Amino acid sequence: MAAKIGIPRGMYYYKHFPFTKTFLTEIGAEIVPSPETTKEILDKGVQYCIDDACLPVKVYHGHAHYLRDKADFLLIPRLTSISKGEYICPKFGGLPEMVKYSVPQLPRILDVEVNMLRSRWGLDKALYRLAYGLGIKNPFRIRQAAGKALSAHRSFKGRVLEGHSPNDVIDGKPPKYINGRDTVGLVAHPYLLYDSYINMNLLNKLTERGIRYVTTEMVDPHIIEQRCMELPKRMFWSSGKELIGSALYLMDNSRIDGVLFLTAFSCGIDSLVGEFIEKYARRDYRKPFMVLNIDEHTGDAGFNTRIEAFKDLLNGRCKDATDLSSHG
Amino acid sequence: MRLTYPHMGEAYIAIKSLFDDIGVESTIPSFTTDTTLRLGAALSPETICLPFKIMLGNYINSIKAGADTVLITGSCGPCRYGYYGPIQQQILREAGYRDIDIIVLDPPREGYRDFYAAVKKLSHRGRTHPLQAVLTAYRVSCAVDALNDLLYHIRPRAVNKAEVRAILHRFKEQVTQACGSAEILKMVEETGNALKQVEINNEIKPLKIGIIGEIYTIIEPFTNLNIEERLGEMGMEVHRSMTVRSWIQNTLIKPMTGRKSYVLEKKLSKPYLPAMIGGHAQQCIGHAVQYAQMGYDGLIQIYPMTCMPEIVSRSILPQVEKDYGIPILYLIVDEQTGMAGYVTRIEAFVDCVARRKKEMLHE
Repeated sequence: MAAKIGIPRGMYYYKHFPFTKTFLTEIGAEIVPSPETTKEILDKGVQYCIDDACLPVKVYHGHAHYLRDKADFLLIPRLTSISKGEYICPKFGGLPEMVKYSVPQLPRILDVEVNMLRSRWGLDKALYRLAYGLGIKNPFRIRQAAGKALSAHRSFKGRVLEGHSPNDVIDGKPPKYINGRDTVGLVAHPYLLYDSYINMNLLNKLTERGIRYVTTEMVDPHIIEQRCMELPKRMFWSSGKELIGSALYLMDNSRIDGVLFLTAFSCGIDSLVGEFIEKYARRDYRKPFMVLNIDEHTGDAGFNTRIEAFKDLLNGRCKDATDLSSHG
Repeated sequence: MRLTYPHMGEAYIAIKSLFDDIGVESTIPSFTTDTTLRLGAALSPETICLPFKIMLGNYINSIKAGADTVLITGSCGPCRYGYYGPIQQQILREAGYRDIDIIVLDPPREGYRDFYAAVKKLSHRGRTHPLQAVLTAYRVSCAVDALNDLLYHIRPRAVNKAEVRAILHRFKEQVTQACGSAEILKMVEETGNALKQVEINNEIKPLKIGIIGEIYTIIEPFTNLNIEERLGEMGMEVHRSMTVRSWIQNTLIKPMTGRKSYVLEKKLSKPYLPAMIGGHAQQCIGHAVQYAQMGYDGLIQIYPMTCMPEIVSRSILPQVEKDYGIPILYLIVDEQTGMAGYVTRIEAFVDCVARRKKEMLHE
């Protein structure tokens, strides 16, 4: 019987799920992803996680709790570094331990370390270790599975770059065409942006109001790399790099009518990255810019008001742009 | 050029000796107070960690006292500390301090030629060889460490606690006026001798409390509500897991001489956290295990709100607590920290530890 592997829907699920899914199914395991976040999952997460962790980490705890009696193993990779010379966030590195010591009665945790700090062979090492842990010792099979997983990942990334939401691509839903005049840039970590429960259904709310969006994931990594060269010091967080690079790009893009920066309260990286982006916006950006801060107590009504206000800003700008000067 | 640097507990003594020896004019920022924090917090990003805000306040205090260059250490690790320099520079510039330069001294493992060049650039009079000066500064920090260890022993046992406080107060006053490592070393020695003269009661068997957590908040007495002195005067023997000396040893001296740093801490924390995740999370767990094995009665973990590595170690420490049966108090500090509430918590913790020990002795 194939081993059932639980995959919590949180953190870099929205970035790496096709890869993980293809690899695990190819080596003959069965995967059990947790469902989309619900109130129960969030409540469980808040209950078990320590108080001052950030919202996505709490949600992740909730998903792990949900999966505890539904799978034989729980895949919580230790993502120390996913690109050369860069880290993600210390919490990613300690995630397996945080979950292990906080949520009781968990199945065995597969906590392979993905460390590509020195070279990209770190990923291969992690994959071999993961497969060995599941009892698959045939290196050719692992190699083949890794190859397939990589091509699945590439096509997934390609689709996202074309402007499809990762959720739609993962679920195989057809892309939605949004009829609207304004396009906003959405700068945020993927685990905030695509979890529609914790961000109060932000993407749908924008769609309903006829606002199109371009997210961080939809910006070409080369552009991000290029824009990050402007920074005074090498950015050593790949997540922070994505945010800054895409924010700078979206702000300078004339087809983007405004930028929304979504951040979770007490996110360590956003406290610095957000400061940088805000400073840039205040200094050089002449279009609407708004920061939305979420945590587990965020209320729907307050959130709606802010989005409405942002929409008014966008509308106001467009109207003025066609008007003649009021000074005649 | 008039250099300044942020405060971190007793670090200013070693830094002052370094600058005096290489012949650089420097300003010690005025000691951290509430005003310093308020100055810094007004300009800082909202959810940045506490050290950032205090350091910024320190700079501004020094700039007002005539400094024009700030020297800080850097890192390229996953902790936010590595990005303090660039952001603080930006903030200072926008706050109107336009010609203030921040020199970031990245650790030698990022290329120690750069490190050496930075030190050399600073020493323009060249009275002492820079490397020699660094080593002497290390010796100063060793002496200060020894003084602290003596203090940990004497404080809970002293008959007249005010006497100890007076000696320390005098030391702090003299050291800021001193010039050069020789003078500072002499002062440390004199203070040590004065402390040894204090009448102590050796009958007392004090409880032992270990202090673990984020390096800045445990070293800087302002951020941790002066916990060493407070506990010491309540009759506890405290020990702080991280000191300026251990920091210099593990980030400068060991890598430069090709040795591994924090070997014991990494070994002890391996069952709990097998990988380096940044900051001092591994070291924090390692120290907790070490203290537990050494028979300490309780531990206090202190870290600034939203500190990423310490949040990880905070969620692992309950397991250490269970495995070794050692009580741990978690104190999270930020600029909203209220003194009274924390003191109550510390007192309650001490009571718990004391009762626990009494029960254990009776069994």
